[in-house]
Amino acid sequence: MNALLAVPLLVPLCGAAVTLLLRRTPRSQRITGTTTLSVVVVAAALLLWHTRDGTIATAQAGAWEAPLGITLVADPTSALLLLVSSVVLLIVLLYAIGQDIGGLSRATPQVFHPVYLVLTAGVNLSFLAGDLFNLFVGFEVMLTASYALITQAPTRARVRASMIYTTVSLTSSILFLTGIALVYALTGTVNLADVSDKLDAAPPALRMVLALLFLVVFGIKAAVVPMHFWLPDSYPVALTRISAIFAALLTKVAVYAVIRTQTLLFARDDTSAVLAVIAVVTMIVGILGALVQSDINRIMSFALVSHIGFMLFGLALGTVAGLAGAVVYLVHHIVVQATLFLVNGLIRQYVGHTSLTDIRGLTAVSPALAVFFFLPALSLAGLPPLSGFVAKVALFQAGVDAGGLLAWAGLAAGVLTSLLTLIAIFRVWTRAFWGTPRPDVLEAREQLRSGANRGGLRIMTATTGAMVAVGVAVALAAGPLTEVGFTAAEGLLDGRAYVTAVLGEGAR
Amino acid sequence: MSTDRPEGRPLVAGPGTPDESSGPPESWEAPRERWLSTVVRPAFGPRSVLLEVVTRLLVPAILLFSVFLLVSGHNRPGGGFAGGLVASMAYVLRYVAGGRHELLAGLPMRPNGLLAIGTLLGCVTAGLPLLVGRPVFDSVKWEFTLPLFGEVKLLSALFFETGVYLIVVGLVLSVVAALGARMEAEEEEARIEERERASLLRRRRAAARAAASAPPPAAGEEPS
Repeated sequence: MNALLAVPLLVPLCGAAVTLLLRRTPRSQRITGTTTLSVVVVAAALLLWHTRDGTIATAQAGAWEAPLGITLVADPTSALLLLVSSVVLLIVLLYAIGQDIGGLSRATPQVFHPVYLVLTAGVNLSFLAGDLFNLFVGFEVMLTASYALITQAPTRARVRASMIYTTVSLTSSILFLTGIALVYALTGTVNLADVSDKLDAAPPALRMVLALLFLVVFGIKAAVVPMHFWLPDSYPVALTRISAIFAALLTKVAVYAVIRTQTLLFARDDTSAVLAVIAVVTMIVGILGALVQSDINRIMSFALVSHIGFMLFGLALGTVAGLAGAVVYLVHHIVVQATLFLVNGLIRQYVGHTSLTDIRGLTAVSPALAVFFFLPALSLAGLPPLSGFVAKVALFQAGVDAGGLLAWAGLAAGVLTSLLTLIAIFRVWTRAFWGTPRPDVLEAREQLRSGANRGGLRIMTATTGAMVAVGVAVALAAGPLTEVGFTAAEGLLDGRAYVTAVLGEGAR
Repeated sequence: MSTDRPEGRPLVAGPGTPDESSGPPESWEAPRERWLSTVVRPAFGPRSVLLEVVTRLLVPAILLFSVFLLVSGHNRPGGGFAGGLVASMAYVLRYVAGGRHELLAGLPMRPNGLLAIGTLLGCVTAGLPLLVGRPVFDSVKWEFTLPLFGEVKLLSALFFETGVYLIVVGLVLSVVAALGARMEAEEEEARIEERERASLLRRRRAAARAAASAPPPAAGEEPS
């Protein structure tokens, strides 16, 4: 178990070091990156297999006992998210490699490969961290890497966006560190299980303040309304490969952290009302933003913000079914967002930009592209039989079961948001995909397809197709996935099992 | 950079490159001896004999001290991070005293390479115990007696600390290279361009005067 928990952290870091040494030979960099991420995918799959029945795997670094040393923990939730995120990371890396082979990107591969693998290590550490401080370290590793990635191929717009992004992220990091210091002052430990144990004795008012502080910290990173303003501003301007991974993973890691801290540390404190209100506001404000945008990337960024609300709604319900819905929604959303941003990258490749005002007839330009957009977009809106439908049904079912004013308000907001998402998608569909394409776009397509970068374009299309296929697979595996979701949710709500797994039977 | 240098004189004066202009040294404190390994062109201000001599004397001591911090750090204050910071201060001092060429001359390899090797060393040390079924980051202790040193206690964690040390040095140096040395190089380019433009202007004026069959120049027109 020890090895399996350490592989997702150590292997990407080793890979980053090797790609840094091999920066003069792009080919070996690509091979190293792909191998590294494949190993992580295998390790994550084994970890999920091991934890599928609710087992909690732990590893104590350096054989230091739990509250003293560094603890790595994998429960079904983290193992599932680890697997999905590493699959997405691998596919986006292959897409980027295709783009580089075709010479279709202005990114600097020498920098991209090492930093991308460091980002992987940060994401994985965030999922596996068993104490607050390592969660912070995981976040920082991930964010530091993202600061470097967002300014790849710097332009005026990118540098401006990255300034906002960095400032906001650093603010949230400072609050995070403050929160950890307060928790340490209150309990004398940062180990999640130990904190969960010792917060019992803390005054309820203080616990509430801490719960809300952590909600703000991760809320900023998860782009929850009203702390979402930075996301639609910074993500769309980054390179495709980077905005795809940011949209798919960074916000979801923060949502995972919200779920983990609110269920494990602050389960006794009723933040569900706050969460439900935030969830409703996030859904509505986000999707209204998407409706008025005229750039596909920006529409998708606002939709991303809006759909974070669904996961918070699941958490706010606080029931097993609600959390199971939130976990399934996380999986669905990671895959769908990555797919949509990759498709936007392909559109950018064919047309040169993603502004709706000047795109038409994409169906005629590339039928494959139309299919690749249509499936995940409908999935995002929640149409059956796609993965979004599965996730939303799970959530709505939980909401109906829970009952109460806030649950019904969340349900109403969820249905409305789904409809508005559909409208936003059809706006893109009718304006960008219907009609006859401009002749110069067709000419550019012929050039692209016959030129030296043909192979690269093929790889990009194939990897986007693979991502769509993963999305369809999520829908096909709805049964087992929901089962794992329920096991995960039971684990999340059963704080005792987590504490016992980490601290041993002797714990109070 | 200082702007009080007279125009047209080489920036570097020293025994390595004999001063071509026949005037006195650029300032009273400019050393004639060579104290650092490259032809000195400090990052800020004019050359200072005090800074160069002190750098020459201190750098080995600082590096030695950083190694002391590294090996003594397991149970006492110090460790890879502190040692790495101290070691990188030695290189920063060389940079301040001797400019970016001095910085590059003092480096065993590029900062990127240091970062990579440090990361690799750290990860491999952390991961090796897994191969023998021990937890990640587990440490092994060896004790033995060496001549002169006496009892020596060696922990495998030292290799991890060495990795941290290399990462810290690599990181500080890449910051210095990116923020200091590169800006300095750009400034230097701009200065060279400026000088070339000035000399081109002078040549053109001279040509214009020659073409006008050399009437006596009006006072103040001649560049000083």
